[in-house]
Amino acid sequence: MNRIRVLAVAAAVLALAAACSSSGTNTSTSSKVGGVLTISNESGGLWTCGFNPFNPSDTTLSIGTVYEPLVFVNALKSGATTPWLASKYQWAPDNRSLTFTIRDGVKWTDGQPMTADDVVFTFQLMKAHSALDLNAVWSVLTGVTKQGSNQVVMTFNGPAVPYFYYIADQVGIVPQHVWSKITGDPGAYVDASPVGTGPYTVSPCTPQNITYVRNPHYWQPGLPKIAKVLYPAYTSNDPANLDLATGKAQWGSQFIPDINSFYSSKSPDHHYWFPPLTNVSIFPNLKVAPLDDKVVRQAIAYGINRDQVSKVAEYGYEPPANQSGIVTPTYQSWLDQGQASTAGYTYNVAKAQSLLQGAGYTKGSDGIYVSPAGKRLSFSIINIGDYSDWVASVREVTNNLKAVGIELKAENLSSDDYDNRLYNGKFDLAYGAETGGPTPYYEFRQWLYSKNGAPIGQQASTNWERYSAPGTDQLLEQYGGTTDPKTQKQIMNQLQTVMLNDVPVIPVTEGVDWYQYNTQNISGWVTQNDPFAQPAAFAVPDIEVMLLHLQPK
Amino acid sequence: MRFLLRRLGFFVLTLWAALTLNFVIPRMMPGNPALAMMARFHGRVSGNVLAALEAEFGVNTKASLWDQYWQYLGNTLTGHLGVSTTYFPQPVTDVIRNGLPWTLGLVGITTVLAFVLGSLVGVVGGWRRGGKLDSILTPVFIVTSSVPYFWVGLMGILLFSVILSWLPSDFAYDNELVPELSWPFIANVLQHSILPAATILITSIGTWILTMRNNMVTVLAEDYVRMGRAKGLSSRRVMVDYAARNAMLPNLTGFAMSLGFVVSGAILVEYVFDYPGIGFMLLQAAENEDFALMQALFLLITVAVLLAVLAADVLTAVLDPRTRTQG
Repeated sequence: MNRIRVLAVAAAVLALAAACSSSGTNTSTSSKVGGVLTISNESGGLWTCGFNPFNPSDTTLSIGTVYEPLVFVNALKSGATTPWLASKYQWAPDNRSLTFTIRDGVKWTDGQPMTADDVVFTFQLMKAHSALDLNAVWSVLTGVTKQGSNQVVMTFNGPAVPYFYYIADQVGIVPQHVWSKITGDPGAYVDASPVGTGPYTVSPCTPQNITYVRNPHYWQPGLPKIAKVLYPAYTSNDPANLDLATGKAQWGSQFIPDINSFYSSKSPDHHYWFPPLTNVSIFPNLKVAPLDDKVVRQAIAYGINRDQVSKVAEYGYEPPANQSGIVTPTYQSWLDQGQASTAGYTYNVAKAQSLLQGAGYTKGSDGIYVSPAGKRLSFSIINIGDYSDWVASVREVTNNLKAVGIELKAENLSSDDYDNRLYNGKFDLAYGAETGGPTPYYEFRQWLYSKNGAPIGQQASTNWERYSAPGTDQLLEQYGGTTDPKTQKQIMNQLQTVMLNDVPVIPVTEGVDWYQYNTQNISGWVTQNDPFAQPAAFAVPDIEVMLLHLQPK
Repeated sequence: MRFLLRRLGFFVLTLWAALTLNFVIPRMMPGNPALAMMARFHGRVSGNVLAALEAEFGVNTKASLWDQYWQYLGNTLTGHLGVSTTYFPQPVTDVIRNGLPWTLGLVGITTVLAFVLGSLVGVVGGWRRGGKLDSILTPVFIVTSSVPYFWVGLMGILLFSVILSWLPSDFAYDNELVPELSWPFIANVLQHSILPAATILITSIGTWILTMRNNMVTVLAEDYVRMGRAKGLSSRRVMVDYAARNAMLPNLTGFAMSLGFVVSGAILVEYVFDYPGIGFMLLQAAENEDFALMQALFLLITVAVLLAVLAADVLTAVLDPRTRTQG
């Protein structure tokens, strides 16, 4: 989860350490089921050995591996769905109700059958305890009821197509016969020996390591093929990276500085792929003058050399973004190429300056433009001090904009200070990223939907720049009312127009999933050519889809 | 007796001051545990989760600071240390119980070893000033003491784990093992502790050598040492009973302090070796604004240091009659 947050010395010494290392010493096996996989994903702390799928610290360890979703939604294939615990789903024509058909023959690890009752129970539990409802699905749900023997019907207070992802993919179904007996707050339930339907069970867990062992009665025949998965608690990046470089761990999900010499060069079996999924952007506070003037925002968008930021500050690992807001190449098919080419927003200092001059801005004696109202174009930009790549990015942006005549002053904050100011709107500019979703729509909704914003001083969940335009809200709501790909595409094109004209957010680079994999003893990994799931070990429930594809060599 | 009572009074007063600071300081940090948790999961959970977390941690439904303070004092004295927000929903006592044995084992034993070995080398070095031992060991360990912990640790990993592959580079035991009281497991733990223990030893022993040696040199110039020699006592008797016993006194308090600080762990060592101890927990508690965990750890450190100092005071009183009469 952490980005570049290592002591420079430590990194250099370990790089040297790995440079002298020999490759892994494991011998390959050829049996069909077997093998041990070690995941190296910096946890930042020891394990609690709790697997409560409603506790945000545990979700990455329990959803997918132990508790399964109704439907798997693949973000790397524009939200393509695979039936999971639900064998079928169907939206009503008005998109206000959704019917799941629950799969037959799935058993909990204690031998009891999984039924539609369990699904209804899970959602009712989230309704009764709002702290469990991590994605606020009950803000749109009006009811979840059983129909017939194996169907679940969900009704909504309006067309709710985008919520499908949060309901079907992000909720792990729990067994009623276990969870109904919990006394007290189910959010504070530890769930040390979880009973799920997933391919793995936990046995044993220590604060230092989680051992997942194969569930022999898993409902997908013959799966999983990897007998044992170890998930050690790497409290810092360096040991985690070293174990990847020496082959002790095979699946990595964190930043490795200078990855080619530290990791790839160690063995021909070492590979990495960093698929981009969201934008890392500048959020201009639209309630602060003169950032409320779109000309200033357009000038900033023209004035940033995104290629250079990507190359210099992100080692090229995070590709340059574009002003359309569509992450490429992951969501290439959603990009309205015509619009993007016309509007341009390629790096162009002269264009940025002429825009400002055209709107009455004049250059002061210090080289910084002054607005017609007499305000210097000098802004502070808040950033997370721990993310050294983001800090370096903002440094590049600052230099770029200085050439235009706009001054930025970086404020590198601690994470929670940053969040506090970001959510409450206490900034001029903020460098940050949304979580996105399985299609570009989710990021657009997080950016632009006025209901995700809040007045300055109150917490906005995602619309941090406080953008509000009735037309845009309408577009976003329209999208929620359709399952037709053509209409969706049309709406997304119009939303790209908003991004290009209004420039409410200025994407700079693209945030990626960190992912390293070792093919020496295990095959079946996600690759660029076959992106069957999000490959980071912290992506849920994608971790399960990956584990089910892996097999010992 | 009066001496002891005064020490005890001092102990209680310091404890109260520490407890109060312990309550005030974390609360002066910006943000709250829910925000800190959001920060920890940056990019993995959306802003909606914040509301769920605040509900779970009860962030915005707090009593006044004053009420919280009294509640906190009462809870602390009765041993109710609360629930950790970092390791939610584990109680703080469980969290500490997971880490403390590893830290006590590793840092505790190495601290005692460093003190004993360092003092021995110091005594002999001071006795035979300029001898082989004194002119080789003393400067070597003074140099190693001035090298940062983590650098020695990383060099150890480079040499013994990566190049030679003799010793494991991280964790307290192999991840495929289950903690149990059996020989293979204990052997595995010992094997894993060699590098971190050696790191602590190498970087901390020099201080003990240097102070002990210098104390020895000073004490050896005292009249009573000369008198002992004049009386024809054996060298050993003069060195141990006359010189070393007195030279040890100033070091005892220092040793007591460092014993007290054992429970704070060795953050950098635990960081470099991914050792599941308590030092790293402290860092994490601070980063995550985990008030309950932070308070419990600081409480543990305060009490341990105060108790160790108290014990050292008593021990000094036993060893050195002068402190008794002055009290």
